Amino acid sequence: MSTHPFSRKAVKIKGSRRSALDLARGRLVLISAVFSLAYILIAARVVDLSLIQGELQHYAESEAVESDEETGAIVEEQVRRADILDRNGVLLATSLEMASLYADPVMVADPVAVAEGLVRVFPDMIYGDMLQKLQRKSRFVWLRRNITPQEQYGVLELGQPGLKFEKGQRRIYPQGMLAAHFIGYTNIDGKGLAGVERSFDSFLNEAAGPLALTLDIRLQYILSREIRTAFEKFSAQGAVGVVLDITNGEILAATSLPSFDPHDPGGADQKALFNRLTLGVYELGSPFKIFSTAALLETLDVPMGKTFDARKPLKHGRFHISDFHPEKRRLTVPEVFVYSSNIGAALMGEMVGTEALKDFYKDLGLFSSLSLEIGEIGHPILPETWRDINTLTASYGHGIAVSPLQMVVAASTIMGGGTLLQPTLILDKNKAEKPRENLDLRVVSPQTAHRLRQLMRLTVTNGTGAKADVPGYRVGGKTGTAEKPGPKGYDRKRLLSSFIGFFPMEAPRYAVFVMLDEPKGTKDSFNYATGGWVAAPAVGRIIASMGPLLGVRPLPDGTTDDLAVSLKHYLHKEEKKGKKSLASY
Amino acid sequence: MAQAIEIHTALSLGQKLKHLNWGLVLLLMAVAGIGFSTLYSAGGGHIDPWASRQMLRFVVGVTCMIIVALVDIRWWLRLSYPCYIAGLLLLVAVQVMGHIGMGAQRWIDLGVIRLQPSELMKIAVIMALARYFHAAASEDIRRLSFLIFPVLLILLPVGLVMLQPDLGTSLMIVMAGIAVFFVAGAPLWLFGVGFAALAAIIPLAWMFMLHDYQKQRVLTFMNPESDPLGSGYHIMQSKIALGSGGIGGKGFLNGTQSHLNFLPEKQTDFIFTLWAEEWGLFGGLLLLALFGLLFVYAGWIAFKCRHAFGRLLAFGLMVNFSLYVFINVSMVMGLIPVVGAPLPLVSYGGTAMLAVLIGFGLIMSCSIHRDAKLPRM
Repeated sequence: MSTHPFSRKAVKIKGSRRSALDLARGRLVLISAVFSLAYILIAARVVDLSLIQGELQHYAESEAVESDEETGAIVEEQVRRADILDRNGVLLATSLEMASLYADPVMVADPVAVAEGLVRVFPDMIYGDMLQKLQRKSRFVWLRRNITPQEQYGVLELGQPGLKFEKGQRRIYPQGMLAAHFIGYTNIDGKGLAGVERSFDSFLNEAAGPLALTLDIRLQYILSREIRTAFEKFSAQGAVGVVLDITNGEILAATSLPSFDPHDPGGADQKALFNRLTLGVYELGSPFKIFSTAALLETLDVPMGKTFDARKPLKHGRFHISDFHPEKRRLTVPEVFVYSSNIGAALMGEMVGTEALKDFYKDLGLFSSLSLEIGEIGHPILPETWRDINTLTASYGHGIAVSPLQMVVAASTIMGGGTLLQPTLILDKNKAEKPRENLDLRVVSPQTAHRLRQLMRLTVTNGTGAKADVPGYRVGGKTGTAEKPGPKGYDRKRLLSSFIGFFPMEAPRYAVFVMLDEPKGTKDSFNYATGGWVAAPAVGRIIASMGPLLGVRPLPDGTTDDLAVSLKHYLHKEEKKGKKSLASY
Repeated sequence: MAQAIEIHTALSLGQKLKHLNWGLVLLLMAVAGIGFSTLYSAGGGHIDPWASRQMLRFVVGVTCMIIVALVDIRWWLRLSYPCYIAGLLLLVAVQVMGHIGMGAQRWIDLGVIRLQPSELMKIAVIMALARYFHAAASEDIRRLSFLIFPVLLILLPVGLVMLQPDLGTSLMIVMAGIAVFFVAGAPLWLFGVGFAALAAIIPLAWMFMLHDYQKQRVLTFMNPESDPLGSGYHIMQSKIALGSGGIGGKGFLNGTQSHLNFLPEKQTDFIFTLWAEEWGLFGGLLLLALFGLLFVYAGWIAFKCRHAFGRLLAFGLMVNFSLYVFINVSMVMGLIPVVGAPLPLVSYGGTAMLAVLIGFGLIMSCSIHRDAKLPRM
């Protein structure tokens, strides 16, 4: 005890009381010094928190604000991902700003209560699912993308700090499935993945104004309605349809079935996403007789009365070419076309010659990919080496596969008067990515074009396309009923049944094409599933609906049908065959 | 002894008032003024519900303080043990019939005011210790057996307060008691042993004595981000608020963290945060400087006091007051775990303000009567 620091002093200063005072004061000073240090420490902490850490925090905040502004700017641009309109300004695709809900599970104090609240706001959410997500260890978990403002309000009402929103945009297609393959769709980040959305992706992200397509949503509706009716009625696997303005190549309506909901392309199967009109290539069959007949008339000055021997199937090596309903006689050119004789067409092709026919097809654009403003374009499939047999089959549309639209465009080239037609989906040509080549390339002469108009009108008045006729309108066209190639050669049961129609025939303006993939005949069609029975009526109904809409004036009753009459005398068929003839190829 | 009392009672009321430490009173009013303005801000720019009542309490408290200051120090010497016993009884009463507040049993509802006896007990313990050591000779203090009684003086109320349970107040009583021991002249080795014992006890206390919520507070202190919505919430929000104040603060009535109710208990324990958010670094340092001046003032009084009772009393109360400040400010800044401790004079609350002002009354009494000759008794 005597080692006390103040004990020595205590000796010097008299009285223990005095020493006690000094001891006390010494210790008082000591402890005061300790307390002063504590004050300084605390003051330093105040400086630390409000200056240094505060600065860091401000920095982080301003960073956050900046990055918010950055993303905000991006969002702003994305929000203004341009609308897509139809030719009349009807909205086909637009972007809406929408919130997406996510959770920071660490900030969720009571997952059970939050999950219960969420299920109240989103009745379709599964409680257990939500609970499990909210109990995760991560700091971020998506709960629901693209919620409505009302749902967002409901979530805010829950007052849970762990529930957060990320602003984003969602692409909305007000017309739903209509023309979905051509308008296309975007992924969740607003990147175009198909159709015009993809091919004009950067344009749409940067454009100040909307992008107008050549589509007319009214025609699109009519086309889709009729195609879907036929598709369902004949239990087809697929169907395509297109309405084309053959004077300028503008696609007014286009559809491919089965279709999909562009809001949820991920939910559709691959078959539905497949664009059969432009990406699919098929051996389309008889419509190619338009081309072989045109080639014949264009390259050789053959009179209409020239006959081709269709009495028995054509043999060429190991191949047999036969007619479905053989006329078993010599057929005139109009008869070959109107009754759709494969034998006749093959003989015509043989007469034109391989090189001439190939050149002609090539000029029509049938040997190369179609040029159109979407990416889903199928390349034609041609024989690896073109032999004479290929000339014969190509004359009636086999051994060569092209996309349906490509065939329609080629046929429209001929019907339009003979200059090459360039199809387009974009109304404002300045916005089109590829400048249109307006080469005015003449493929057939006006005379040949006129002959083909007569032949196609005759097909509807007196041939296989009778069901496409519409009272008051002159409809012309060509049926097609192609057997699909299977593992054991062509399959008579699996057909591609189509009809390509044009109207008004006195001055052809519109091409209307319908094709059903593997239709099944019904009682109404007497179990026929041919183009004349399943596709031609659909084209007729489409024309009947669209004619008045587009202001095409019906002809007065009793007007002479010059086109049909002019060639009618070349038909030598007895009328007794009746309806059956309509079902032939 | 009788003579001594006579001499000093001769000090007239006028003389006493003249000797009253008006500077100290002014400092106290400045600190309280900061409290009023902050409570006004916490009330969303309204004098109700907090600022008005706080002012009323301050007036009552200052009146009590001056009365306490004018009472002769010898009376306080005599009243030390009775006060201590009264405090103990109140603590027992709180156990028996206490009002449950915030999950802990700390209040006695007297109808008019709710009394928190543990606050008053802090003063009573210091008075009792000062009284005990005042009577001791310096040789006595080096005797271990002599120290048993004052240790009991501390442990008895600490035990009762722990039962409430109130860890913060218990620790404050212990620390103030240790400070009195130190200044009274207890041998240094004792403190070494004491700290060693404390270090040994901490793990045991952790396992057996602390309540779950107390453990949680300590754990949260170590890592507040581990539970941002639960027990870490206070501290994180408080630090955010302090940081967002910056140098100049957000301006009066503009503290977003506090006004948007991110900060709970903003009018009581976390009032420093609110003040510092609105007035920034300068405001925070100003308030700390005012507290520092109070501390220096009280320390100086203790230093100049000629008698052991006054010295120990003034010093013990100063330590007690400083501990309030340290604990509260350290807590809101995340330096120590969250313990329920108000910021003296600034936080909204009746008993704490009353206790602090009575404490300063006693300190002033020590100052007025610093030259009094006190019997050893």
